[in-house]
Amino acid sequence: MRGNEDKIWADVDWALVGLYFLLVGLGISNVYSSVYNPDKPNLFDLSTEHGKQIMWVGIALFLGIIIMIIDGNLLRKLSYWVYGVLMLLLVAVLFTDPINGAKSWFGIGSFGVQPSELAKVGVCLALSAHLADAPAVKNRLNVSFSITYLINLWSQNWKTVAILGIPSILVLLQPDAGTFIIFTSFILVLYREGHAGNVLLFLLVAVIIAIITLVVADSSFMLPFLKIKMGGKFGIVLALLFFGLIFYLLIRNFVLKRNRPPLYRAMVGSIVISILFVNFVEWGYSSFLDDHQKVRIELLLGKIEDPDGKGYNINRAKASIGSGGFAGKGYQQATLANASQKHVPMQSTDFIFCTWSEERGFLGSGFLVILYCVIFIKIVSIAERQRSSYTRIFAYCVAGVFFYHFMINVGMGLGLAPVIGIPLPLFSYGGSSVLTFSLLLFILIKLDSERKIVLQ
Amino acid sequence: MKNIENRKYVIALIFILIPLIFLVRLFYMQVVDDKWKERAAQISENKVITYPARGIVYDRNEDKLISNEVYYDIRVIPKQMDEDIDSFGLAKLLDISIEEYTAKMNKARDYSYRKSSEIVRQIPPDEFADIGQELYKYPGFFEVERTLRIYPRPIAAHVLGYMSEVDSSDIKRDKYYKSGDLIGKSGIEKSYEKYLRGEKGVKYFLQDAIGIETDTYEDGKYDTIAEQGKSVTLTIDGDLQAYGERLMQNKRGSVVVIEPSSGEILTMISSPTYDPNLLVGRRLGKNYSVLAQDTLIPLQNRSANSTYPPGSTFKLLMALIALQEGVITDQASFPCTKSLVGCHNHPTARGVSDGVKMSCNPYFYYLTKKIIQQGKHKSHFVDAAEGLDIWADYLRSFGIGIDMKTDFPALRHGFVPNTDFYDNEFPSKSNPYGKYGWAYSTIYSNSIGQGEVLVSPLEMANIACIMANRGHYYYPHFIKEIEDGQIPDIYTTKQKTKVEPKHFVPVIDGMWRVVHEGGGTARRARVDSLDICGKTGTAENFKMYDGQRKQLVDHSIFIAFAPRDNPKIAVSVYLENSGFGGTWAAPLASLLIEKYLTGEVKDTVKENRILDANLMPIKIVKKKK
Repeated sequence: MRGNEDKIWADVDWALVGLYFLLVGLGISNVYSSVYNPDKPNLFDLSTEHGKQIMWVGIALFLGIIIMIIDGNLLRKLSYWVYGVLMLLLVAVLFTDPINGAKSWFGIGSFGVQPSELAKVGVCLALSAHLADAPAVKNRLNVSFSITYLINLWSQNWKTVAILGIPSILVLLQPDAGTFIIFTSFILVLYREGHAGNVLLFLLVAVIIAIITLVVADSSFMLPFLKIKMGGKFGIVLALLFFGLIFYLLIRNFVLKRNRPPLYRAMVGSIVISILFVNFVEWGYSSFLDDHQKVRIELLLGKIEDPDGKGYNINRAKASIGSGGFAGKGYQQATLANASQKHVPMQSTDFIFCTWSEERGFLGSGFLVILYCVIFIKIVSIAERQRSSYTRIFAYCVAGVFFYHFMINVGMGLGLAPVIGIPLPLFSYGGSSVLTFSLLLFILIKLDSERKIVLQ
Repeated sequence: MKNIENRKYVIALIFILIPLIFLVRLFYMQVVDDKWKERAAQISENKVITYPARGIVYDRNEDKLISNEVYYDIRVIPKQMDEDIDSFGLAKLLDISIEEYTAKMNKARDYSYRKSSEIVRQIPPDEFADIGQELYKYPGFFEVERTLRIYPRPIAAHVLGYMSEVDSSDIKRDKYYKSGDLIGKSGIEKSYEKYLRGEKGVKYFLQDAIGIETDTYEDGKYDTIAEQGKSVTLTIDGDLQAYGERLMQNKRGSVVVIEPSSGEILTMISSPTYDPNLLVGRRLGKNYSVLAQDTLIPLQNRSANSTYPPGSTFKLLMALIALQEGVITDQASFPCTKSLVGCHNHPTARGVSDGVKMSCNPYFYYLTKKIIQQGKHKSHFVDAAEGLDIWADYLRSFGIGIDMKTDFPALRHGFVPNTDFYDNEFPSKSNPYGKYGWAYSTIYSNSIGQGEVLVSPLEMANIACIMANRGHYYYPHFIKEIEDGQIPDIYTTKQKTKVEPKHFVPVIDGMWRVVHEGGGTARRARVDSLDICGKTGTAENFKMYDGQRKQLVDHSIFIAFAPRDNPKIAVSVYLENSGFGGTWAAPLASLLIEKYLTGEVKDTVKENRILDANLMPIKIVKKKK
């Protein structure tokens, strides 16, 4: 049963379409304000960023209509092909000349395309296809620290690891740490599909340990009651052993004897892994990160001060947002995040939230945050109404990617996340990113519109 | 599986929780916390100070003594420069060394490529005339105007003073000043700095990340306009000052002219002098060091900052004190013995008037002895100690050796020795005579203006005023009028000496006869109909050369006032190492008096004799004894 021309549009979620146009419309008006040049006041001037942004939205809409016309089932079948082609592009881009130190761009005249952005579409499609075909997670393996468990875990999940791992490694080679971090958003999808509950928990613990390590590693303190000075890292290890001792006593006193051995194994394994992890974090931090990245992280952790408030982008971004006040300075009235002042760098791309918040104040910034929140929940609700697991998984992929971009981009401006150059979905200037996010939404809308006619 | 189905709620929770955290954070940053607004202002706003033109200084005839003129700073924006710039040509055009040019350019590039940096500052208009027409050949370089001082007439350098950049103590003392500002360093520029400097203006603007202005702040609501400094009118008579400086060419010394009825300083000359325009703008540094190294010390204001033995002019005061103390009458006569103090040949002085006229050294030796040794005590040591302090008190009432309240910075006053000085510091601090270890016989040189007493030329002119006023004076001062300001009362308050007017009659009679009678010491000062009263002085002086004390040619001194009744002018002339007072100082003083009182000098022979005289060389005399 195939839908005719009328039926294509019948079950389209117009609310989501409306949210898309609202976001894109606000985005273009904001880009216009952030790069406004009195010599080029024409909104559609293709030599300006707003003009280009409109052009890219037009291209995206054209592709969107094509997507709406073609069969949703075809999309699913093409998933691996799209993924494969985009992976080849990710390999090819490594042979271009670096721009700003990263080999991320295919340039066509004054226009550029970032394959790492479009790769997100490929990964979403391929991951959805793979997980939809994979046997449902019914017989979940009991967590244990046996070799067989690990082998089984690997044999069940290696394809997932490969689909996510290949592009991750390729973008790290560019290098593009921002996109790499976005790929970790798929853990949310895996979690939803019943795979990664422990992984999510594990990541949370790992992040906490990593932060503690970075905060205290290079400081030293006096051991209480004893006059012994010791390094921060040693302190963490000591604390971990101390927790281990408490768990040991708890297990010994409150757990049945036959249940004790696996818990002991888990406990010892956790402590060993934690200690190794602490060392790994410290080593990785000192040998892999550039100085400017370390400064960003140390600023975020409050380890170094920036008293004059002028030295670092993040302080200018915060000053810009904070100075917006309740009602904002007014459209095109920003004094920090605008094109003529340029106190906030990359105000049309990575720091686009600054221009918006400075000009629209808390009213505007709060509205935008709520708008994104509505979109996330909308996508989740779309996902949950699907009978097709492919569409559901794809919807969660889209939600995860959108959410990660939003969390890091806005968190960065607010000083809650380290400075990582990634765009705010459909709001930041950038052809590749507008195209990517539009395609993700259009594919979702297309797949969703077929929710009643296909059972996949 | 129910368990896994529930995970959608966890995800939805995360999707709601993070935006919620952002909302709270946004509310705090944008609505609650003002810190970010201040920081934003700090980053995006800036201000420029606009400098006011300094107040104009006029002389008493409303002629400009100090005015303002546009000087030029040369600045560069490195980004706009030609790549193949002719550095040598430009350095030559700007009159700086290629090394200095390179250093300045490097500094400019280090600072900013887009913002301008200074290459040369404060080029005077005459020099800029040549630079300005060539500058277009060097893109990126441009001139910035700023007003600096100009002296329309190159006179009164020591009185007017000069300006230079503030130092750290100026900045600490007064918040008005910022590094690089100019401040009056000496003379009137320093005394009346507060009036002359004006009010700075401030302009707030929005700046970009590099600091370049992009817009006005709030349409200039908080901006203020620089306000020109107050103009100041001085008591100086520019024409008389200029004439005096002409007369003082090729002479070392000083001239001070005061109006006795008001204490207004009409002229203050220190010679050798310099063109005050030399110490403005970029020429200041170079010229200052040249002047500072000159062995004739042109930077020294001899009128206000040098002290000399007053010589025979001091005899006027001895006579007045003796008369007031009642130790002599105006008919007193003393023999010209020449045993202790030398003298020239003259008839015996019969009375104070005679003594002054003939300037008889022994006469004043005996006269002063009567003041110091009044015979009130048996011990003539105790007697001298008491007498000396009486004598010193009188002298201080004449303004000698005290801080006279004048509006001139860094005034050096003369020295009146008293009992304390001879007890503890004479002949040296390490080995003094001690209490009652000395008597008049030790200190008699002071009676004829030699010895330990020292007087500045300004104080000497003030003595001439006291003579003219018959017993009182006004603190000598330069200020005549301040725009929107008041002259302090202190300058219009009569300062009385301890000598009553009646005692001045015989002394002034003597001063008149000095100039007008045969046998007077200053016949060359006579100008018919002007009734000049004066007193010559000739001061011995010594200087150490290679550890040996050598006697130099005497200083030539003359103080005078005119006319005898209702005096209009009081003068002191002090010419270093020029010989007898009546020879040079007296005629020079009379020329000034004639010029001031009649507007012209009739006796061109006398005038040319002074103009042509070169009294610069320092000569050592062979010892007479």
